[in-house]
Amino acid sequence: MDFSLTEAQEKLRKEARAFLEKECPERLVREMEEDDEGFSPELWGKLAKMGWLGLAYPEEFGGKGGSFIDLAVICEEMGRAMLPAPYLSTVVLCGLTILEAGSMKQKTELLPKIANGERVLSLAMTEPESSWDGTAWKPEGITVRATPSGKDYVINGTKLFVHDAHIADYLLCVARTREGKKPDDGITLFLVDAKSPGISVEILDTTAGDKQSEVTFKKVKVSKESIIGTLHKGWAPLEKIIKKGAVLLCADMVGAGQRVLEITVDHAKTRVQFDMPIGINQYVQDHCAFLVSEVDSSRWLTYQAVWKMSEDLPCETEIAMAKAWTSDSHERACWRGHQVLAGVGYEVDRGVLPLFSRRGKAKQLHLGDSDFYLEKLMQEIEQWPPPEKFRGKPLGIFDIPRGKQVPSWQPWKERWEEIEKRKKERKKKKK
Amino acid sequence: MDFGFTEKQEKLRKAAREFFLNEMPEDFDPDVETMFSLTKEQTAFWMKFQKKAGKKGYLTPGWSKETGGLGYGPIEQGIVEEEWGFTGGRWPNASGLHIAGPAVQVFGTEEQKKKFLPGIAQGTAIWNQAFTEPDAGSDEANQKTTAVLKGNYYVLNGQKTFITTLIKPDYLYTLARTAETEPKHQGISLFLVPADAPGITYQAQGTMGFGTQLNIYYKNVKVPKENLLGELNRGFYHAMAAFEFERSGTGNPANAKRRLTEFIQFCKKTKRNGKPLIKDTDVRKTVAKMAIDIEIQRLIAWEAVWRHSQKGQLPPKGYDLSGFFNKINSTQHPETMMHIMGLYGQLRSGAKWAKFAGKIERRWQVARSVHPAGTLEVNKIVVAGRGLGLPRIPARFNKMIAESLQPKKK
Repeated sequence: MDFSLTEAQEKLRKEARAFLEKECPERLVREMEEDDEGFSPELWGKLAKMGWLGLAYPEEFGGKGGSFIDLAVICEEMGRAMLPAPYLSTVVLCGLTILEAGSMKQKTELLPKIANGERVLSLAMTEPESSWDGTAWKPEGITVRATPSGKDYVINGTKLFVHDAHIADYLLCVARTREGKKPDDGITLFLVDAKSPGISVEILDTTAGDKQSEVTFKKVKVSKESIIGTLHKGWAPLEKIIKKGAVLLCADMVGAGQRVLEITVDHAKTRVQFDMPIGINQYVQDHCAFLVSEVDSSRWLTYQAVWKMSEDLPCETEIAMAKAWTSDSHERACWRGHQVLAGVGYEVDRGVLPLFSRRGKAKQLHLGDSDFYLEKLMQEIEQWPPPEKFRGKPLGIFDIPRGKQVPSWQPWKERWEEIEKRKKERKKKKK
Repeated sequence: MDFGFTEKQEKLRKAAREFFLNEMPEDFDPDVETMFSLTKEQTAFWMKFQKKAGKKGYLTPGWSKETGGLGYGPIEQGIVEEEWGFTGGRWPNASGLHIAGPAVQVFGTEEQKKKFLPGIAQGTAIWNQAFTEPDAGSDEANQKTTAVLKGNYYVLNGQKTFITTLIKPDYLYTLARTAETEPKHQGISLFLVPADAPGITYQAQGTMGFGTQLNIYYKNVKVPKENLLGELNRGFYHAMAAFEFERSGTGNPANAKRRLTEFIQFCKKTKRNGKPLIKDTDVRKTVAKMAIDIEIQRLIAWEAVWRHSQKGQLPPKGYDLSGFFNKINSTQHPETMMHIMGLYGQLRSGAKWAKFAGKIERRWQVARSVHPAGTLEVNKIVVAGRGLGLPRIPARFNKMIAESLQPKKK
């Protein structure tokens, strides 16, 4: 048992916080929300220089060989700073999938370019029909077809809620190449040049003002060489990386939640009404105490999953718990913040809380919401075996009906006798 | 970062589990038995069991070998408590193990340690914590019981209430006022009172789910001077420090997990309108949510234990959420489960037609008595005040405010 980070990880966190406080102030976040592209190539370049883009890749692919815990630490700080950058899309969802399933050639070609900030990638997975619920993140939800045509494949269909597609150089398109016996059979990952003819990207107007797009594939030709992993067998590596992404999204929400907590408590201490700081009121304290509980609980559920992932231990249960809980918990945390900050909390031109809660909504839904993960969790825990039976020899002293168990110690015996006496008297009266 | 245990720790866990499984009688069901007003045979059994566990060192594995423990640290103590919690049993001397014992260890004199600790570690002595009074609940410092020094004795007078115990106690770990001070908590001391001292009377008090608690009356009870624990008039601080041990319990979530595991089995076997409960979407969601709640409680408890094991190397955190989550979960989970059971939920254990042995009904009642060690509201105030540094009205103004609230006399 050790709930602390190593010295190196603490150092990484400190560096990250200092860097982001300087390079990613709230002003920038607000600007990027209004901006059409919502992306600062300059900042992206700086992230590359810090070594964050290749943090989790092996050194041979231009990375730093960091652990999954390192990655989570960085993501937590990014969440705290609300970094407007395609980090999750590029580095985690696409980059790690390439690292997991790509050929040596693909890895040596692409990963160093991701690591040095030259390429932005985006995962095109969810579809209009499946976006009503968790089906979006299940193999059943993949219906966009890629049909063979000579040496190439042709992709047709629409992907929705594609994060950062508008600035992507490549789209990692999850397409169906055949109808297998099981839904996950027949899914193939194509790395498509985002400038290919037939692709159109339209940014959707979302709560968070983050840039999610509708991506339409109209007879888009892709070569066989652009398949990541094996034909028809793309689901397994993709699912693995989606889980990693979900956990990192949790870490992001933990960082954001911590900042919301700090803002809220600070406001409760400094805002004066009725001649006193409002934090003296126990209704306000109640919100703050619950906020702590939301953030702390999310933190440990998340880091437990992070640790298990970095140690390669089985952790389906822990991942499901982390994302199911943290998604909703972060929403509640932001709501508590709004309750305490009241007017200041919804003023959008200067307030920070609107930024947090709007972005929180996007994170809550991305990569599977609580309903999706609760069902996954249930599939795990219904396998729990019943508790082992006690093996001591039966004593026969426990199954006496409650009314007949005479307590042995005087005060209780007296009370018991008193009750019995009253019962008898009542019976007598009736007769 | 490491959320696992070492091989040695896993070995201890397995050994403890085997011991508990082998010793607990086959026909004992922790959620059905009352456990609080015991028959003669039950008392004898639990005392014998406690002594057996004491011999093995499983009562106090975290204590040093000289004081009767196994010489392990807080983590190992947490492991054994977790295994014990999972069985659903309750040591008759729970208060001694978790509160009085640690307090004696930290604040006791050498003589006191020699005299009191072996009994706790070996499971022969029963301790009760006698703090709460009719006018000293959340406001623990409002102690009205007095202790006056007369020669070699302190003479105690007053009433204690809501004192939880399974079995006739041997010692009462008691707070009493030794000086009239302002603020109130600076005039309180801790006493280790022999429970059979002349002048003490006990009266049973019926409570929801728990079965029975006690009212204790002190009337001119003579307590030897050497039974004062720690410094005179510092008792309140000592008591609060010792509470830290009580609140980092890993047993509670383990206990809750046992119940949930059993409930999942029940949902698999039971059909509602021709369909197994477990196939119902709502049931699936609520059960999964409860599993998360319990896991959170487990992690928070372990964080506290881990912090405790790092004492001196980490700054104090100022707040602990284990009690907070325990109070929320143990109140809400039975209600949630009862909801699933419909009309059947109200049947008590032993009743005709009772489903799931009436366990949930019992827990629902117990859920009304989750207030030991402070209500949830007090917990929140501690988190807000000590943890977050939110302001509160200084206690010296309390009387002034109370006076201003009095209706004006004409």
